[in-house]
Amino acid sequence: MSEKLLEVKDLYVNTEDKEILKGINLTMNKGEIHVIMGPNGSGKTTTANAIFNNPGYQKAGGSINFNGEDITNLKTDEIARRGVFMSFQLPEEIPGVSVTNFLKFAKNKITGKPVKIFEFKAELKKYMEELHINPEYAERSLNVGFSGGEKKKNEILQMLVLDPKFAILDETDSGLDVDAIRTVSRGIELFKNEENAVLIITHNTKILEYLKVDYVHVLVDGKIVTTGSAELARQIEKEGYEKYKG
Amino acid sequence: MDHLKLNETPVRTSKNFNINNIKLENVNIPEDAGEFKNVKIYSEGENIHYSNHVSTANLVYGISQNFAEMLNQRANQNIGIHIESGYCSTIHIDFTFDKNNLNLLDNIEILADAGAKANVIIKYKTLEDLEYFHNGMIRLFAKENSQVNVIFVNFINTKSNHFVSIQNDFEANSKVKYTIVDFGGKNSVTNYYANLLGDSSENMVRTIYLGKENQLIDLNYIGELRGKKASINIDVQGALKDVAKKHFKGTIDFKKGSKKSKGDENEFCMLLSDTARSLALPMLLCSEEDVEGNHASSAGKVGEKELFYIMSRGFSFKEAMKLVVRARFNNIISEIEDEKLRDEILEEIDIRLD
Amino acid sequence: MAKTNLEEINRNIYDIRNEDNYDYKIKKGLTPEIIAEISAQKNDPEWMREFRLKALEVYNSLELPTWGPDISELNMDEIATYVRPKTKLSSSWDDVPDDIKNTFDKLGIPDAEKKSLAGVGAQYDSEVVYHSMKEELIKQGVIYTDMETAVREYPELVKEHFMKCVPVYDHKFVALHGAVWSGGSFVYVPKGVKVDIPLQSYFRLNSPESGQFEHTLIIVDEGASLHFIEGCSAPKYNKVNLHAGCVELYVKDNAYLRYSTIENWSKNMLNLNTKKAIVGKNAQVDWVTGSFGSKISMLYPMSILNGEGAKTEYTGISFAGKGQNLDNGFKVVHNAENTSSIVNAKSISKNGGKCTYRSLVRIGENAKNSKALVSCESLMLDDISISDTIPVNDIRNDEVEFSHEAKIGKISDKTIFYLMSRGLSEEDAKAMIVRGFAYPISKELPVEYAVEMNNLINLELEGAIG
Repeated sequence: MSEKLLEVKDLYVNTEDKEILKGINLTMNKGEIHVIMGPNGSGKTTTANAIFNNPGYQKAGGSINFNGEDITNLKTDEIARRGVFMSFQLPEEIPGVSVTNFLKFAKNKITGKPVKIFEFKAELKKYMEELHINPEYAERSLNVGFSGGEKKKNEILQMLVLDPKFAILDETDSGLDVDAIRTVSRGIELFKNEENAVLIITHNTKILEYLKVDYVHVLVDGKIVTTGSAELARQIEKEGYEKYKG
Repeated sequence: MDHLKLNETPVRTSKNFNINNIKLENVNIPEDAGEFKNVKIYSEGENIHYSNHVSTANLVYGISQNFAEMLNQRANQNIGIHIESGYCSTIHIDFTFDKNNLNLLDNIEILADAGAKANVIIKYKTLEDLEYFHNGMIRLFAKENSQVNVIFVNFINTKSNHFVSIQNDFEANSKVKYTIVDFGGKNSVTNYYANLLGDSSENMVRTIYLGKENQLIDLNYIGELRGKKASINIDVQGALKDVAKKHFKGTIDFKKGSKKSKGDENEFCMLLSDTARSLALPMLLCSEEDVEGNHASSAGKVGEKELFYIMSRGFSFKEAMKLVVRARFNNIISEIEDEKLRDEILEEIDIRLD
Repeated sequence: MAKTNLEEINRNIYDIRNEDNYDYKIKKGLTPEIIAEISAQKNDPEWMREFRLKALEVYNSLELPTWGPDISELNMDEIATYVRPKTKLSSSWDDVPDDIKNTFDKLGIPDAEKKSLAGVGAQYDSEVVYHSMKEELIKQGVIYTDMETAVREYPELVKEHFMKCVPVYDHKFVALHGAVWSGGSFVYVPKGVKVDIPLQSYFRLNSPESGQFEHTLIIVDEGASLHFIEGCSAPKYNKVNLHAGCVELYVKDNAYLRYSTIENWSKNMLNLNTKKAIVGKNAQVDWVTGSFGSKISMLYPMSILNGEGAKTEYTGISFAGKGQNLDNGFKVVHNAENTSSIVNAKSISKNGGKCTYRSLVRIGENAKNSKALVSCESLMLDDISISDTIPVNDIRNDEVEFSHEAKIGKISDKTIFYLMSRGLSEEDAKAMIVRGFAYPISKELPVEYAVEMNNLINLELEGAIG
C-alpha cells in the first residue's frame, strides 16, 4: 500500500474577488506522476499557486495536507522547506545573482545544512550535462537573457539540485520544441523515484509520450470533472474539452 | 522690461545647467492689449453652456505669477465652457491674429461634469507676418468619469511670442488626453500641469513640436500623481532645424498615496541641423513605493540610411527630410479624429520645413 | 538578539572612536590670518600660500548652492578646519601609533595590503600617517606620496596641475577646499607604465567638528594605466562633520585610469566632495562609486572628454537609509569627436532615506559622432522613502547617438514569491535581490572591497526588511 503524500480537500480559491477554484479534491501518493489538463483559464496555474500559498491567491475554503502536515496557511518558503517545488510557467529574472550562487543559497535554506562547495559544483555540473545546458550558464545571472526553453530547463535543473519530495511542473512543456521536451522529460525521469511525486500541469500531451503517468485529471471551470489513466489524455487530444464544458 | 524669468521647474538643479527657468529679453508685453475679436467658437452636441465668467484662483505652477495676474486682471477673452453630465460635445475655438487683433490674452475654463464627454479643439493662427503677443491660460476640471480630449494647435508665426499655462484637475476615473501641436512662436513657452488627484484618473499628453530659424521652445510639463492607480503618459516628439532651441522639462512626481500608479515619459528630439540645440530634463520624483515610473529621452539626427532609401525612390533631400519628420509625427497625428485638422497639420509641417 | 542591537554592533566596527588626541587645533572660523597660519604650519611654498588666500577670497564671494539638499545646518564658523594628529609621516606600519593602528586593523587595511595591494596611503584626520609602495613601482618611476610632500618635492608637476582641473570658483566648497586643503594623495604614473595592481588610500575622520579637505591629484601620463581605490570612513559624532575633498585626475593621451570609491562616512557627515577628470585623446577614465554613509552627500564626479576618441564610464550606487539624503550623480562634457560615455547609476532608498540621481550630459558643438548612453534604476524598499531622478541632457550637435533611460520601482511580489518557492525567507529573498541589483557595481571592485560593500548592504538591510 503506497503512502499518501499530498491531499487537497475541497479547495476554493479567489483572485481579485473572482472565484477561480470551486472545490478541488486531489490525492497523490509517493511514487506517482499525476497530470492536470484543462483549457485556458480553467484554474490549473491557480491550483499550483494555491498549494504554494502565493499571497496573490486567496483561499476561500478547504485544506492542503502534505506529508501528514497541514500546510494550508504556511508561508511559501516554509512549504518549500518541507519539500515542495514548483517549476514556474514564467520564471522570474534575478539580475546580478548567478545560477550557482542562487542554488547554493537555496540548497542551504532547504536542507538547513552548509553546502559542501566541491560536491555541490560537481552535482550541478552533472545535472547541467544531463539537461544539455551550456556550462557557462552556471555563472550567468539567473534567467536573465535566457530563452524560453533555457528558462524551463533551468527550472528542471533547480528541481534536480534541490531534490524535493513533491514537484509541481506548471506548463513546463509549453512553448518547447520536441528536443527540449525530450530533455525536460529526461530530467523528470532522473528526478523521479518511489519516495517522491510529480504533478504535471499542461495543456498538451506531447510530454506524456515520454513519461509513465499514473493519473490524468481534467480541470474545467475550477473543478476536476473527470479522472482517468493516460488514455484519457490521448482521448482529449483527439476530442478536446467540449464534452466536459457545462 | 529688462528680462523675464519664466517657467520655473518644480525642483531646481545646478544653476550652471541653465534649465531651472528660462530668461527672455526683448519681449514686448503690451501695456494695453486692446481688443481681440477674431474668435470663432462653434460646437456640436447638446447642453454646453458658455459664459465669460472664469476662475481667477492662483495657478499652482503656470509660466509666472505676473503672466497669470495679467490674465486674471485684463484678459481680452474670457471663455467659460461647461459640459453637463452625460452629454457628449465637440467644441472648436479658433483664434486668428491679424493687424486689428494683435494681442490675445485668453482665459479659458473647461468644466466637464461627471460622466461628460468632450472634444475641445483650440487653434491659434496668424495671418500677416507681424509680431503678435499671446498669453493664454486653460483650466480644465475633469469630474468623475468624465472624458475630455483637448487638441491644442499653435500655428503662430515665428516672429510672435506665445505663452500658455495649462492646469488640469482630475477626479476619480476621469480620462483626459491632450494633443499639443507646438509649431509657432519666436518664443513658445508652455507650462502644463496635471494634478491627478482622483483614483484611477488617467492623463495622456502627446506633443509634437517643430523649431526653425531662431525659435525657442520651452516646455515645462508637470504631472503629479496623488490618487491610487492613477496614470500619466507623456510623449513628446520634435524636430529642430537651423539654430532653433528646445528645452524640455518633464516632471513626473509620485506623491504619497499614489500607490499602484504609473508614469511614463518619452521624449525624442530629431536634430535636422548641426546648430540646433536640444536641452532636456526628464525628472522622476518618487515618494511612494508601489509605483512604476519610466522615462526615456533621446536625440539624434535623421538616419542617413533612411534618407538614402527615400531619396533612392526619387525624392529630393528636402522632401525626404519632410517625409521622415511627418512619419515621426504620424503616431501622434493619426490619433486625431478630425481628418481636416490632420491634413492641416501635415500641410503646416511641409510649409514650415520649406 | 533584537535586530536593532545587531545593527548597532555591526555599525560599531566602523564607529570605533579614539580619544580626541590631537596636539594642535586651530581656533574656529575662517579668516586670512587662519589661512596664513595653516600655510605656515604646512611649510607651504609662497605660491601655495598665495593660492590659499586667493581661494579664501573666492570662498567669501560665492553663495551656497540654491538647489539640492538643505545644508543650512552647516555653520562654517563652528568647524575647525585643521586637525593634526600626534604623529609624523611613517614609512612602516610599525611606527604608526597603536590607537590609530588599531582602528585601521579593525578595518582590515594592512591585511588587504599584504594580500594584493600595491600601496596604502592612510589619512588620519588631516595628515597622512602611513605610506608605502612596492619597490618595483618605485623603480618604474611611479610616484605615490602624500600631497604636502608632492608640493615640496615635485613643484613643477604640482604647480602645473593643482586645481587647474577643478578651479576654485567652481563652487563655494571647492573654494573652501582651495583655502584649507590638507593631506591627500599624489600619484604620477610615467608614460607607458602599466600599474597592474590597484593603489589604494583610506581616509578617516576622527576629531569631532573637524572638516576634512584632502586633495587627491593623479596624473596618468601618455599610454600609462592605473587603478586607484579610495575608501572613506568616519566614526560617529553628534556634531555635524564636513568633508570637502577634491579629486583631480589627468588622464593623458592613450592612458587609462579607473577610480573606485566606497564611501561609508558616518551618518552625521556632510560630504560635499568634488571630483573631476580631464581625459585626453583615446584615453579613458572609469568611475566606480558606492555611496553608503553620510547624512548629506552632494557628489557628482565629472569627466571632461577633451581628446578625440576619449571615453568614460560611470558605475555607481547609492544606498540611503534613515535620515540620509544622498544627492549623487555624474557629469560628462563631450568636447571632441568620437567621444563616448556610458552611465549605469543605481540607487536604493529605505527607511525614510532619500536618493537623488542628478546629472549632466553635454555633447558640445564639436563633439561630432559622439555617443552617450545613460541608464538609471532606483529601488524603493518602502513607502516612506524618496527617490528622485534629475538628469539634464544638453545636446548641441546632430551627429550624436544619445539615449537616457530611467526606472523607479519596488521589488516585485512575483519575484519574491519565486525566490520563496525555493526556500528563501522573504527577508533573504529581498536581500538577494538587492545584492543582485548592486552586483554591477560590486563586480567592478577588487574582491576585498566587493566583500566590504556586500557587508555594508547586509548591514543596511538588517532590520529594514521584514
